[in-house]
Amino acid sequence: MMLEDELTVSTRERDGVAIIDLVGDVTTFAEEKINAAYREVTNDGARFVLLNFRQNDYINSAGIAILIGIVTEVNRNNQKLAVSGLSQHFQKIFRMVGLAQYAEIYQDEEEAIGRFQQAAAE
Amino acid sequence: MSDETSQPERLEKVIELRLPSKLGYERVAMDTASSLARRMGFPDDRVDSLKTAISEAVTNAIEHGNQQDAAMKVVVLLTALEDGLIVSVADQGRKPLAQVSTTNSPKIEEAFERDDKGGWGIWLIRELMDEVEFSTAPSGGNQVRMVIHLE
Repeated sequence: MMLEDELTVSTRERDGVAIIDLVGDVTTFAEEKINAAYREVTNDGARFVLLNFRQNDYINSAGIAILIGIVTEVNRNNQKLAVSGLSQHFQKIFRMVGLAQYAEIYQDEEEAIGRFQQAAAE
Repeated sequence: MSDETSQPERLEKVIELRLPSKLGYERVAMDTASSLARRMGFPDDRVDSLKTAISEAVTNAIEHGNQQDAAMKVVVLLTALEDGLIVSVADQGRKPLAQVSTTNSPKIEEAFERDDKGGWGIWLIRELMDEVEFSTAPSGGNQVRMVIHLE
Protein backbone atom coordinates (compact mmCIF):
# COMPACT_ATOMS: atom_id res chain seq x y z
CA MET A 1 0.00 0.00 0.00
CA MET A 2 1.34 3.35 -1.05
CA LEU A 3 1.22 5.44 2.09
CA GLU A 4 4.50 7.29 1.93
CA ASP A 5 6.39 9.52 -0.35
CA GLU A 6 3.51 10.86 -2.37
CA LEU A 7 5.20 14.07 -3.33
CA THR A 8 6.88 15.11 -6.56
CA VAL A 9 9.23 18.08 -6.29
CA SER A 10 10.79 19.74 -9.31
CA THR A 11 12.49 23.05 -9.99
CA ARG A 12 12.46 25.43 -12.93
CA GLU A 13 13.26 29.06 -13.64
CA ARG A 14 10.86 31.61 -15.07
CA ASP A 15 11.50 35.35 -15.53
CA GLY A 16 14.17 35.41 -12.85
CA VAL A 17 12.11 33.45 -10.33
CA ALA A 18 13.14 30.02 -9.09
CA ILE A 19 10.00 27.93 -8.99
CA ILE A 20 9.76 24.83 -6.83
CA ASP A 21 6.74 22.80 -7.91
CA LEU A 22 5.21 20.66 -5.17
CA VAL A 23 2.71 18.08 -6.35
CA GLY A 24 1.32 15.75 -3.69
CA ASP A 25 1.43 15.46 0.07
CA VAL A 26 3.62 17.67 2.22
CA THR A 27 4.32 15.62 5.33
CA THR A 28 7.38 14.41 7.20
CA PHE A 29 8.35 12.33 4.14
CA ALA A 30 8.77 15.53 2.11
CA GLU A 31 11.68 16.96 4.07
CA GLU A 32 14.60 15.65 1.98
CA LYS A 33 13.02 16.54 -1.35
CA ILE A 34 11.94 20.05 -0.42
CA ASN A 35 15.23 20.92 1.27
CA ALA A 36 17.22 19.53 -1.67
CA ALA A 37 15.19 21.58 -4.16
CA TYR A 38 15.67 24.72 -2.06
CA ARG A 39 19.44 24.10 -1.79
CA GLU A 40 19.64 23.58 -5.55
CA VAL A 41 17.96 26.87 -6.46
CA THR A 42 19.91 28.72 -3.77
CA ASN A 43 23.22 27.32 -5.00
CA ASP A 44 22.21 28.55 -8.45
CA GLY A 45 21.88 32.05 -6.98
CA ALA A 46 18.11 32.41 -6.73
CA ARG A 47 16.93 35.72 -5.23
CA PHE A 48 13.22 35.06 -5.70
CA VAL A 49 11.81 31.69 -4.75
CA LEU A 50 8.26 30.53 -5.40
CA LEU A 51 6.83 27.44 -3.76
CA ASN A 52 4.16 26.48 -6.26
CA PHE A 53 1.58 24.13 -4.79
CA ARG A 54 -1.09 22.35 -6.84
CA GLN A 55 -4.09 22.59 -4.56
CA ASN A 56 -2.41 19.88 -2.46
CA ASP A 57 -4.98 18.36 -0.18
CA TYR A 58 -2.65 17.12 2.52
CA ILE A 59 -0.16 19.40 4.23
CA ASN A 60 0.27 18.50 7.89
CA SER A 61 2.11 20.05 10.84
CA ALA A 62 5.32 18.20 9.93
CA GLY A 63 5.04 19.73 6.46
CA ILE A 64 4.49 23.15 8.02
CA ALA A 65 7.66 22.65 10.09
CA ILE A 66 9.62 21.93 6.87
CA LEU A 67 8.27 25.14 5.32
CA ILE A 68 9.20 27.13 8.44
CA GLY A 69 12.71 25.72 7.95
CA ILE A 70 12.71 27.09 4.39
CA VAL A 71 11.54 30.50 5.63
CA THR A 72 14.38 30.49 8.18
CA GLU A 73 16.91 29.90 5.39
CA VAL A 74 15.27 32.41 3.04
CA ASN A 75 15.57 35.10 5.73
CA ARG A 76 19.18 34.15 6.40
CA ASN A 77 20.03 34.26 2.69
CA ASN A 78 18.15 37.51 1.99
CA GLN A 79 15.92 35.93 -0.60
CA LYS A 80 12.25 36.65 -1.20
CA LEU A 81 9.75 33.84 -0.84
CA ALA A 82 6.20 33.49 -2.09
CA VAL A 83 3.73 30.63 -2.31
CA SER A 84 1.03 29.97 -4.89
CA GLY A 85 -1.57 27.34 -5.67
CA LEU A 86 -2.66 26.72 -2.08
CA SER A 87 -6.25 25.68 -1.48
CA GLN A 88 -8.43 28.04 0.59
CA HIS A 89 -8.00 25.75 3.60
CA PHE A 90 -4.21 25.80 3.52
CA GLN A 91 -4.14 29.54 2.83
CA LYS A 92 -6.04 29.82 6.12
CA ILE A 93 -3.63 27.47 7.92
CA PHE A 94 -0.61 29.42 6.59
CA ARG A 95 -2.14 32.63 7.97
CA MET A 96 -2.93 31.01 11.33
CA VAL A 97 0.61 29.70 11.74
CA GLY A 98 2.16 33.02 10.69
CA LEU A 99 3.83 31.75 7.51
CA ALA A 100 1.88 34.34 5.51
CA GLN A 101 3.87 37.10 7.24
CA TYR A 102 7.07 35.73 5.72
CA ALA A 103 5.88 34.42 2.38
CA GLU A 104 3.33 36.29 0.27
CA ILE A 105 0.42 34.09 -0.72
CA TYR A 106 -0.75 34.31 -4.34
CA GLN A 107 -3.58 32.46 -6.02
CA ASP A 108 -1.43 31.17 -8.85
CA GLU A 109 1.98 31.23 -10.48
CA GLU A 110 1.07 34.05 -12.90
CA GLU A 111 0.14 36.41 -10.09
CA ALA A 112 3.27 35.54 -8.10
CA ILE A 113 5.60 36.06 -11.07
CA GLY A 114 3.96 39.43 -11.80
CA ARG A 115 4.52 40.62 -8.23
CA PHE A 116 8.11 39.39 -8.15
CA GLN A 117 8.82 41.31 -11.35
CA GLN A 118 7.36 44.47 -9.83
CA ALA A 119 9.53 43.94 -6.74
CA ALA A 120 12.64 43.38 -8.88
CA ALA A 121 11.94 46.60 -10.82
CA GLU A 122 11.59 48.71 -7.66
CA MET B 1 -15.27 11.12 29.05
CA SER B 2 -18.94 10.53 28.36
CA ASP B 3 -20.12 7.14 27.20
CA GLU B 4 -21.53 7.93 23.77
CA THR B 5 -21.28 4.33 22.67
CA SER B 6 -23.20 2.81 25.57
CA GLN B 7 -26.60 3.87 24.30
CA PRO B 8 -28.00 1.27 21.88
CA GLU B 9 -29.75 3.83 19.65
CA ARG B 10 -26.43 5.47 19.02
CA LEU B 11 -24.44 2.33 18.24
CA GLU B 12 -25.35 2.39 14.58
CA LYS B 13 -23.93 5.88 14.36
CA VAL B 14 -20.48 4.85 15.57
CA ILE B 15 -17.61 4.00 13.24
CA GLU B 16 -14.54 2.44 14.80
CA LEU B 17 -11.14 2.29 13.11
CA ARG B 18 -8.15 0.40 14.46
CA LEU B 19 -5.07 1.67 12.65
CA PRO B 20 -1.51 0.33 12.68
CA SER B 21 0.94 2.78 14.23
CA LYS B 22 2.66 3.58 10.98
CA LEU B 23 2.78 7.05 9.47
CA GLY B 24 0.53 7.26 6.44
CA TYR B 25 -2.39 5.41 8.02
CA GLU B 26 -3.69 8.70 9.37
CA ARG B 27 -4.95 9.25 5.81
CA VAL B 28 -7.36 6.36 6.22
CA ALA B 29 -8.86 8.16 9.23
CA MET B 30 -8.96 11.45 7.28
CA ASP B 31 -10.73 9.86 4.33
CA THR B 32 -13.25 8.05 6.52
CA ALA B 33 -14.04 11.15 8.59
CA SER B 34 -14.29 13.27 5.48
CA SER B 35 -16.71 10.86 3.81
CA LEU B 36 -18.90 10.70 6.93
CA ALA B 37 -18.86 14.47 7.48
CA ARG B 38 -19.89 15.14 3.87
CA ARG B 39 -22.81 12.75 4.20
CA MET B 40 -23.82 14.53 7.41
CA GLY B 41 -23.94 17.81 5.50
CA PHE B 42 -20.85 19.62 6.76
CA PRO B 43 -19.68 22.33 4.35
CA ASP B 44 -16.34 21.93 2.54
CA ASP B 45 -14.36 24.27 4.80
CA ARG B 46 -15.47 22.40 7.94
CA VAL B 47 -14.62 19.07 6.33
CA ASP B 48 -11.14 20.43 5.56
CA SER B 49 -10.73 21.55 9.19
CA LEU B 50 -11.86 18.15 10.41
CA LYS B 51 -9.38 16.38 8.09
CA THR B 52 -6.50 18.46 9.39
CA ALA B 53 -7.52 17.96 13.04
CA ILE B 54 -7.95 14.19 12.74
CA SER B 55 -4.70 13.80 10.81
CA GLU B 56 -2.81 15.66 13.55
CA ALA B 57 -4.45 13.65 16.34
CA VAL B 58 -3.74 10.30 14.66
CA THR B 59 -0.21 11.31 13.68
CA ASN B 60 0.50 12.26 17.30
CA ALA B 61 -0.88 8.92 18.48
CA ILE B 62 1.30 7.04 15.97
CA GLU B 63 4.50 9.00 16.54
CA HIS B 64 4.38 9.86 20.21
CA GLY B 65 1.80 7.75 21.97
CA ASN B 66 2.70 4.49 20.26
CA GLN B 67 6.26 5.39 19.24
CA GLN B 68 5.64 4.08 15.71
CA ASP B 69 5.40 0.49 16.92
CA ALA B 70 3.24 -0.84 14.05
CA ALA B 71 1.90 -3.62 16.26
CA MET B 72 0.25 -1.04 18.52
CA LYS B 73 -3.10 0.29 17.42
CA VAL B 74 -4.55 3.74 17.24
CA VAL B 75 -8.28 3.56 17.86
CA VAL B 76 -10.46 6.19 16.20
CA LEU B 77 -14.16 6.46 17.05
CA LEU B 78 -16.41 8.60 14.92
CA THR B 79 -19.83 9.23 16.43
CA ALA B 80 -22.41 10.95 14.27
CA LEU B 81 -24.92 13.01 16.27
CA GLU B 82 -27.89 15.04 15.12
CA ASP B 83 -25.99 18.25 15.65
CA GLY B 84 -22.37 17.28 15.12
CA LEU B 85 -19.61 14.74 14.97
CA ILE B 86 -17.52 13.46 17.87
CA VAL B 87 -14.07 12.12 17.04
CA SER B 88 -12.09 10.29 19.65
CA VAL B 89 -8.51 9.18 19.04
CA ALA B 90 -6.74 6.92 21.53
CA ASP B 91 -3.28 5.41 21.60
CA GLN B 92 -1.70 2.79 23.84
CA GLY B 93 0.39 5.24 25.75
CA ARG B 94 4.05 4.37 25.37
CA LYS B 95 4.64 8.06 25.95
CA PRO B 96 2.23 10.42 27.68
CA LEU B 97 1.32 13.70 26.07
CA ALA B 98 3.15 16.66 27.58
CA GLN B 99 0.57 18.73 29.44
CA VAL B 100 2.08 21.98 28.20
CA SER B 101 1.40 21.01 24.58
CA THR B 102 -2.35 20.95 25.30
CA THR B 103 -2.44 24.61 26.28
CA ASN B 104 0.42 26.50 24.61
CA SER B 105 0.28 28.64 21.49
CA PRO B 106 3.43 28.25 19.40
CA LYS B 107 4.98 31.32 17.77
CA ILE B 108 6.65 31.15 14.39
CA GLU B 109 9.41 33.57 15.47
CA GLU B 110 10.36 31.13 18.24
CA ALA B 111 10.33 28.26 15.75
CA PHE B 112 12.87 30.11 13.57
CA GLU B 113 15.34 29.89 16.48
CA ARG B 114 14.76 26.21 17.24
CA ASP B 115 16.22 23.20 15.44
CA ASP B 116 12.86 21.47 15.80
CA LYS B 117 10.38 23.71 14.05
CA GLY B 118 7.39 21.50 14.79
CA GLY B 119 4.90 21.48 17.63
CA TRP B 120 1.91 22.85 15.70
CA GLY B 121 -0.31 19.78 15.65
CA ILE B 122 -2.20 20.02 18.91
CA TRP B 123 -2.55 23.77 18.60
CA LEU B 124 -4.09 23.32 15.15
CA ILE B 125 -6.56 20.79 16.55
CA ARG B 126 -7.58 23.28 19.25
CA GLU B 127 -7.96 26.09 16.75
CA LEU B 128 -9.92 24.11 14.18
CA MET B 129 -12.37 22.07 16.29
CA ASP B 130 -15.30 23.40 18.33
CA GLU B 131 -14.52 21.37 21.47
CA VAL B 132 -11.30 19.55 22.36
CA GLU B 133 -10.50 17.52 25.47
CA PHE B 134 -7.33 15.64 26.32
CA SER B 135 -7.44 12.80 28.80
CA THR B 136 -5.87 9.52 29.80
CA ALA B 137 -7.73 6.43 28.62
CA PRO B 138 -8.61 3.73 31.19
CA SER B 139 -5.91 1.59 29.57
CA GLY B 140 -3.37 4.35 30.24
CA GLY B 141 -3.06 5.72 26.72
CA ASN B 142 -3.58 9.26 25.55
CA GLN B 143 -7.02 10.16 24.37
CA VAL B 144 -8.23 13.22 22.53
CA ARG B 145 -11.91 13.90 22.06
CA MET B 146 -12.91 16.50 19.51
CA VAL B 147 -16.32 17.77 18.54
CA ILE B 148 -17.32 19.65 15.44
CA HIS B 149 -20.80 21.16 15.37
CA LEU B 150 -23.21 21.12 12.47
CA GLU B 151 -24.65 24.61 12.20
